[in-house]
Amino acid sequence: MTANETSVIAKGFTKPTARVERLKRAIVEAVPVMETERAKLVTEAYKETENLAPILRRAKVVEKLFNHMQVTIRDDELIVGTTTEHPRSSEVGIEYSYDWIEQELDTLSNRATDPFCIDETGKKTLRKISKYWQGKTLSEYALSLMSKECRDCQDYAVFNAGNYLYAGVGHSVVFYERVIKDGFSGIIRDVVDTLEKMDRNHPDAIKKEQFYRALLITYTAAINHAHRYANKAEEMAQRETNPARKAELAQIAKNCRRVPEHGATTFWEAVQSFWFVHYMLHVEANGHSYSPGPFDRFMHRFYQSDPTVTEDFAQELIDCLFVKFNDANKVRDDISAQAFAGYQLFELVALGGTDEDGNDQTNDISYMCLTALAHVGMPMPSVGIRVGNTTPDEFLYRACEVIRLGYGMPNVFNDEVIIPAMVNRGIPLKLARTYTPSGCVEPDIQHKYEGWHDAASFNVAKVLEITLHNGRCFGKQLGPQTGEITSFTCIEDFFAAFEKQMAYFVHNMVEAVNCIDVAHGDRVPLPFQSALIEGCIEKGKSVQEGGALYNFTGPQGVGIIDAGDSLYAIQKNVFEDKKITLAQLKDALENNFGHPVEATGSTEISAQNGAAAAGGALSEESEMEMRIYEAVKSILSGSGSISLADLRKSASLPQTAGGGQYDDILRVLRSTPGFGNDIDEVDAFTVRCGRIYCELVEQYTNPRGGKFQAGMYPVSANVLYGKDVGALPTGRLAKTTLGDGVSPRAGVDTNGPTAAANSVSKLDHALASNGTLYNQKFLPAALTGDKGLMNLSALIRGYFDRKGMHIQFNVVDRETLLDAQKNPDKHKDLVIRVAGYSAHFVRLAKDVQDNIINRTEHTF
Amino acid sequence: MASVNYKADGIVFDIQRFSVHDGPGIRTIVFLKGCPLSCLWCSNPESQKLAPVILFQLDKCAGCGQCLRACQTGAISLDAPNRVDHARCAGCGECAGVCPMGALVLKGERMTVEKVVSVLKKDTVTYRKSGGGITISGGEPLVQWAFATELLKACKAQGWHTAMETTGCAGADAVEAVFPYVDLTLLDIKSMDPQTHKRVTGVTPEVIHRNAARIARLSQTVIRVPTIPTVNATDEDFVRISDFAKTLPGVDTIHVLPYHTYGENKYALMGKDYPMGGDIRPLPPEDAARFQRIVQARGLRCTVGG
Repeated sequence: MTANETSVIAKGFTKPTARVERLKRAIVEAVPVMETERAKLVTEAYKETENLAPILRRAKVVEKLFNHMQVTIRDDELIVGTTTEHPRSSEVGIEYSYDWIEQELDTLSNRATDPFCIDETGKKTLRKISKYWQGKTLSEYALSLMSKECRDCQDYAVFNAGNYLYAGVGHSVVFYERVIKDGFSGIIRDVVDTLEKMDRNHPDAIKKEQFYRALLITYTAAINHAHRYANKAEEMAQRETNPARKAELAQIAKNCRRVPEHGATTFWEAVQSFWFVHYMLHVEANGHSYSPGPFDRFMHRFYQSDPTVTEDFAQELIDCLFVKFNDANKVRDDISAQAFAGYQLFELVALGGTDEDGNDQTNDISYMCLTALAHVGMPMPSVGIRVGNTTPDEFLYRACEVIRLGYGMPNVFNDEVIIPAMVNRGIPLKLARTYTPSGCVEPDIQHKYEGWHDAASFNVAKVLEITLHNGRCFGKQLGPQTGEITSFTCIEDFFAAFEKQMAYFVHNMVEAVNCIDVAHGDRVPLPFQSALIEGCIEKGKSVQEGGALYNFTGPQGVGIIDAGDSLYAIQKNVFEDKKITLAQLKDALENNFGHPVEATGSTEISAQNGAAAAGGALSEESEMEMRIYEAVKSILSGSGSISLADLRKSASLPQTAGGGQYDDILRVLRSTPGFGNDIDEVDAFTVRCGRIYCELVEQYTNPRGGKFQAGMYPVSANVLYGKDVGALPTGRLAKTTLGDGVSPRAGVDTNGPTAAANSVSKLDHALASNGTLYNQKFLPAALTGDKGLMNLSALIRGYFDRKGMHIQFNVVDRETLLDAQKNPDKHKDLVIRVAGYSAHFVRLAKDVQDNIINRTEHTF
Repeated sequence: MASVNYKADGIVFDIQRFSVHDGPGIRTIVFLKGCPLSCLWCSNPESQKLAPVILFQLDKCAGCGQCLRACQTGAISLDAPNRVDHARCAGCGECAGVCPMGALVLKGERMTVEKVVSVLKKDTVTYRKSGGGITISGGEPLVQWAFATELLKACKAQGWHTAMETTGCAGADAVEAVFPYVDLTLLDIKSMDPQTHKRVTGVTPEVIHRNAARIARLSQTVIRVPTIPTVNATDEDFVRISDFAKTLPGVDTIHVLPYHTYGENKYALMGKDYPMGGDIRPLPPEDAARFQRIVQARGLRCTVGG
């Protein structure tokens, strides 16, 4: 594209209103606080209801929260409702887990990733409350259900099922449209009807009645909660001296008086009603990834049917809503915080897509949401688009124009893979066509589906490491004995051992996840959410007990590419080129190629055992001696003459630091080509590892009567879970970062973006029906002009033609990121893509930042 | 009906996937070795010789000495700052094959049409989605015109859009053989002044200017002007080039390619001095814009950059 051609495709962006700018600034500058109100109210409610069935108990918990929690309307807001008094702050889901809070209470405000402020009074309150919860939390109950082997696997960090062990499940796309259209009163009407028609002689009726009563208690309180906002707005309107704001507050009061109790009559009410439903889910439980899903598809009718709303005001309302998403937050334990770095709730708005007959549904709201994303430029909500063969090019170009802004959004989902993948899992075709992505990258059927997406992170690279040590991990026989690698004679021996280890550990992961699943059903059924998922009212049971029409469990594999590249490195260097013997490899791996190992890890055991596992780490002096010896030896064995300058140079090269005797092996391993360069014989190893994982996972069923389905994406867990994995045959040192999702390992893909995308597309994405994630990084200069947009769009369409499932882009130059590391204050609002989500770069921990900087950057 | 000789071979020095500056859409560029010109500013100096060339990158070298043992002609010395004595180097590439650090890289590989097409095929979907295709560049691709012809025929057999970047410096038979298979030609015109042309490229321009008319008759052609301060970055040069372009059948576009110094580093890798010297700076954008206006004033389209 050149300066003298007129741009037709790129439309440019308007500025948001001053109000939106102010709302945004308030969030960016907010210091997140850990609040204690919810913990107090929940504890009171539990103490008062010890004689009740779990579902009624939970109804009483929610009732107490809706009736007594703070009601806060912030300056400038048009859309109101918040879980916390302070902006961008978090309540505590104390009923889920407490141990970690107690342990981390004093470090919470100054930890590296996602710190939260809490004052001494708050700490005291939580410590006092905690006494009640000892032995009563969901996490303690779930752990008590697990076998010792299963807990061992978690202690040794083979997989992490902590996501729902310590918090609510979330990850659900509820029936917003129903509430916006008919109000909570419509839901109450349904429940009363069902209750009246119920055959009380049927034995199921007893439990069902409890469930229906729970819904009535919950939704009556929810309506009251909205009315409390109406009252609050009226009070504030009376005191307000600015006439413009006074009128706004009066209208807010009217809105909250009408919705969500009744159906919305204006677009403003519709947006307010949406937000009530959305944040009430967060009041009920502290799950994340409650995703709006097809927001444009269900909001469009309310926009069209409101003759009074102008396009500008509708845009401002959507902008306000987008800012509001960032008001919600979730305090997590340190490990989970590292895995999900960036104060994220992963709430995905998924634009575009088709109806059940396959007709494209892109509409005005789809474009307005893209504009809102450009206006707001904040990490939340995540915005994705569905792209299929019938998606208008204009829409994809507009999305590319937003991608070019560099927020890492929208991410892009391939209908032509996801729809058949869902059909393959038993979803009827018509429903599959209406799917929505949710959370990071997980396909879902809105308000009919409980996917338990993100059920666990399974560390495939860790299992490969265990395989290379005959089932041992840090000296313990953790997996089955599958043979010392020195006895192996071909790569198939490795695969046979690896598959046995994978089967053992997947089995244990399933046990862990199912124990947690059962625990949620037994202890924390959620009445508010359940009325908004189809199937629950009909079956008379909560989502957590299997009420949804479709049930799945989706654990994702991490480190698949490290495993594949490791096995290829063995095939190439040991069996084909015979450059390294298995004895040499074993020795080098056990000694971390002579490098020291830092004591870090996601669990206590993996952290403590780091240094010990390295064994032969050399002292600095002996290292230097070794390097000089090596240098002399190599020069003398060659035909060249020896020069002291060369000797010194080679002795002090950074590449050789730490190793000496293992340098040759390391060089050979590191120069082995890896996944991401479109070399079929190399890529085949990673493809096979992915298939092994997916096919093991899909054999299992969950307690809600659904199937397991695998995902292949890391969130940002590739940095964290790398800390649990020892040295690998790729030449990767112990504890360093793993590959990111299905993206090639950092710096390995050197043949350009189409080569990398081709490699990634060779994985069987449809088999990983819980989602895959592919990150590409571009320099902004690579995407200039209409030609840049067309090329980016062609790249996406090309990757999708080859059956890739998901792709997202970071368009920020390296210098900007490096500068942001150095001068965080200057870049407070820099939003970049981490993994399945975007975050403020300066709020990420340094190693996550480094990992992002090191991803291979493509230029056009 | 033209048949393709897939066994024809030539020396390829690079295949670059995902290029967007040398023709429409997303393209793969095949760089052929060998060039009769030796432009002072050449940004691919490793392409000038027809034979393969070894590049050496000092900062990657671990000094392990494996290349010494691999070299059959004794062209490598760890004492020499650039390791490789290019006078003795046979270009066999053995040293690059054993270098564990990737510090030595062989530029130039004998490949058959079949082999090249197998690489090009990897991006078929991308060409289709982006309206892209294949660009053959160099060096000067007409040096290996018989190979280029077979390669282009093979690309057309796949239905791909073909482009060629050329200096136009070749015999008439080469031109007549190649260009019927080229959809878009990007033809360099450096200077209309014979002395200047000879001084900065090593050849006189008459052949090139004669071929320009032949090429333009056989293929849609765009004139590209690498615009080099102190050589041809004057208003008068652009007036003369524009007037010349207008004499060529069907030519209506000129690209101003501002001088850059990206190639400078490659001279060091080859152990050579940069003939342009370090004093000449990249072309100022305002100069490029002025040349653009001059061209446009003569009724031609003009873009700055590719």
